[in-house]
Amino acid sequence: MTELYPSPSPSPSSGLSRRSTLLAGGGSALLLGLGLTGCRSAVSESASAPQETGAAPKRGGILNLAINADFTPALLFAQSGQSLQQRLIYNTLTRYDDSLTPKPELATSWTYAKDGRSITLKLRDDVTFHDGRPFTADDVIFAVKNLQNPVRAAQLRSTAATINGFEKRGDHELVLKLAHPVNNLFDLFEFMIITDEKTVEDAVTGKKLIGTGPFRLKKWSPGSGLSLTRNDSYWLPDRPYLDGVELRVIPQADALISSLRSGQSQLSFGVPGKSLSVIKSDPKLKITNYDTGAGAIYLGVNTTVAPLNDKTVRQALAWAIDRDRLLAQTLGGYGLASAAPWPKSSPAFSEAHRTHYTHNPGKARELLRSAGHSKLELPLLHIALPGDTAIAESIQYDLKQIGVHVTLEPTDGATAQKKLISQEMPALWTMGHGFAQVQPSTLAVSAYPFNEAKNTSKYRSAAYTKVVQEAWTKPGTSAAGANALHEKISGILLDEAFIIDLVVRGQVQVNADRLHGVALNKFSYLNLDNAYLA
Amino acid sequence: MRGYLLRRLPSALLVLLGASFLIFTILRLVPGDPATSLAGPDADAATVAAIRERLGLDAPLLSQYAHWIGSLVTGDLGPSYAIGGQVADLIGDGLGATAELTAAALLFVIVLGGAFGILGATSRSGWVRSAIRVTTTAALAVPPFVSGVLLVMLFAVLLGVLPPGGRVPFLGAPDLAAQYLLLPALCLALPSAAVLGRYLKDGIERALAEDYIRTATAAGVAPRRLLWRHALPNALPPVVTLLGMQTGHLLGGAVLVEAIFAWPGLGQLAEQGLSRRDYPVVQDLLLLLVAVFVVVQLLTDLVYAWLDPRIRWE
Repeated sequence: MTELYPSPSPSPSSGLSRRSTLLAGGGSALLLGLGLTGCRSAVSESASAPQETGAAPKRGGILNLAINADFTPALLFAQSGQSLQQRLIYNTLTRYDDSLTPKPELATSWTYAKDGRSITLKLRDDVTFHDGRPFTADDVIFAVKNLQNPVRAAQLRSTAATINGFEKRGDHELVLKLAHPVNNLFDLFEFMIITDEKTVEDAVTGKKLIGTGPFRLKKWSPGSGLSLTRNDSYWLPDRPYLDGVELRVIPQADALISSLRSGQSQLSFGVPGKSLSVIKSDPKLKITNYDTGAGAIYLGVNTTVAPLNDKTVRQALAWAIDRDRLLAQTLGGYGLASAAPWPKSSPAFSEAHRTHYTHNPGKARELLRSAGHSKLELPLLHIALPGDTAIAESIQYDLKQIGVHVTLEPTDGATAQKKLISQEMPALWTMGHGFAQVQPSTLAVSAYPFNEAKNTSKYRSAAYTKVVQEAWTKPGTSAAGANALHEKISGILLDEAFIIDLVVRGQVQVNADRLHGVALNKFSYLNLDNAYLA
Repeated sequence: MRGYLLRRLPSALLVLLGASFLIFTILRLVPGDPATSLAGPDADAATVAAIRERLGLDAPLLSQYAHWIGSLVTGDLGPSYAIGGQVADLIGDGLGATAELTAAALLFVIVLGGAFGILGATSRSGWVRSAIRVTTTAALAVPPFVSGVLLVMLFAVLLGVLPPGGRVPFLGAPDLAAQYLLLPALCLALPSAAVLGRYLKDGIERALAEDYIRTATAAGVAPRRLLWRHALPNALPPVVTLLGMQTGHLLGGAVLVEAIFAWPGLGQLAEQGLSRRDYPVVQDLLLLLVAVFVVVQLLTDLVYAWLDPRIRWE
């Protein structure tokens, strides 16, 4: 391949650089400039402002909510790490106030039968579903039956299952009959979302979510998030104030923080504790620490593995952990170091239980010696995520100080869950639990680690079963009587130490300072009925 | 060329069949299953069993495999176990997003890599060559999760000119979409652009040192013509192969970059599917990725054969 050319010229490199530079530089600049010179700015588009100005609260605007896990339709009826959308699309029958007193929502009033075997509910008669169909007592009957179906995996199924009869008194009055009295019925009413029966199968695949809530589903894009728009026919007059809510999935913690700091998102509950210091220094962001919601971090103990079948050894472990350091170092100080599972808002909370075990390595070593041990080798399973690994390492360090050498077993979430359910945990594991934020009896009947009949620790005791059943099935008990039962439950949990509670965690909310009126219910369902962007 | 393609096809199909069996088997060996994942930590045995039965996980493994292959052949991928929706829709949405990101990154790789290579080989300025060397070394050394965070800090948090994450589909609003695309595509492209630039620079330098270039130079051929008509075409075949391989790297790297920039592509879908043991989503996705690699490799070989006739005559 030879060509002949007429005249000589400088060397190949000469004369090329400037032209090539211009060409290459121009191309790159064109590409880079494509977005920057676009006619609209993506940054200002995402920071949507309300249309009206004037006295607060203001109407309009789209709230961008950064979530770290996408909506999982199959878990619509269970409480999961991502239950924020539940109360945006749906309503519940009642909701607790801060002192755990139920307040009306779709149920306006209720009357308990004296024997505790039935409850009569009066329902709102001005509520319609998003498709225009009126809400009636049949929808409550369906909601209860739906939760009784094991496929729905609803944690409060045992409570729903106690309802074995329905008596309709018109479209808006209903009697629920119970197989036996239970004292956590209002937990169920706050947990149970009211869905549309005809479209429920579409709801659990994410196709169609029809409720009575303040926002309608516009679109769910798996991996991207939910887009909700204002329900103009909402039963609460003039609400919601917002035009819509965008739940955007941002799984990476740094990206989530950047989204908040750049103003692209105005609300999140997914900032890890250790990263909250970055948020604290930003004057445009606010941190709110909820006492309820998320749950607690614990050290689980398999009571069938020697020498952990000896409660003295378990108690030694409970004395060995420095809960305050764990709280400060792994959760950024957001939470409550506690030996008991209860948050401060729980009727079962007591300062004495919270501080029943404090950091006392001397006492821990002494207990270990009294049980005939000076050195132990034990495995500790934990979920292999940064936050959980830090907790496991902290426990490992504390236990090493008393001669208990722990081998960490990092495990992915799905495997850890399977081992938890199938009771295949090794000697020790650390995870989180919920359900201590509502009626104390719910913890022992609905949170698997504490279940009196079957739990991962394989702990069984007639005394524990008796007191749990008594606490659960005696709704008419006086406050003093209930307190005595809670005292007994806490006493057994602390003395037997099959679940060693470490830190009670609440939901930590980060929001732009121009966002107001955000609330969470006890199951971390987000309530934006009164929220607005200033 | 057609004969060459026909010779390559059977091995490609065999690779896909083998991969499908491996993917199915390995996924079943991973502890945990969709039923326990869906049942949640508070489930009892009855709940897990009911969910397992509903998902068809109680059937023998061989029949589950046959059912999967059958569904692939008929084109009905069925519903997702845990994520929700139809697998075909999930993969379709994710594929669109990842393809958009990969295509934009590929464009950056070609433009930046081309500029690095051509300037590095032809510039007489020592300063320019040093700047390119430093830039490519840095682009290669800094992993995307670091460069991604740095880009976000600079352009989204400090300057506030670009969004830190998320996606607007390109067909809906191209002007907004380009702004969402810019940072992740650049972050994804930088290491590959550096590799490509270095290969191209070496290739051009080698070609420019050939005897026929010296002859042509002596005959007075314009340097620009020498570069574009002779040196560059001769330097291109190995670079095209590299570009094919880099496309694979871009697809793989997209998983990480998608997490940093909250880009709802296949990487995010794979992560979600795997963490929830959503077998249909993960199986189909992995097989699709194998298919993409096979097709890219096939295309690369075809382009190579087109550029260098000796290959197709072998």
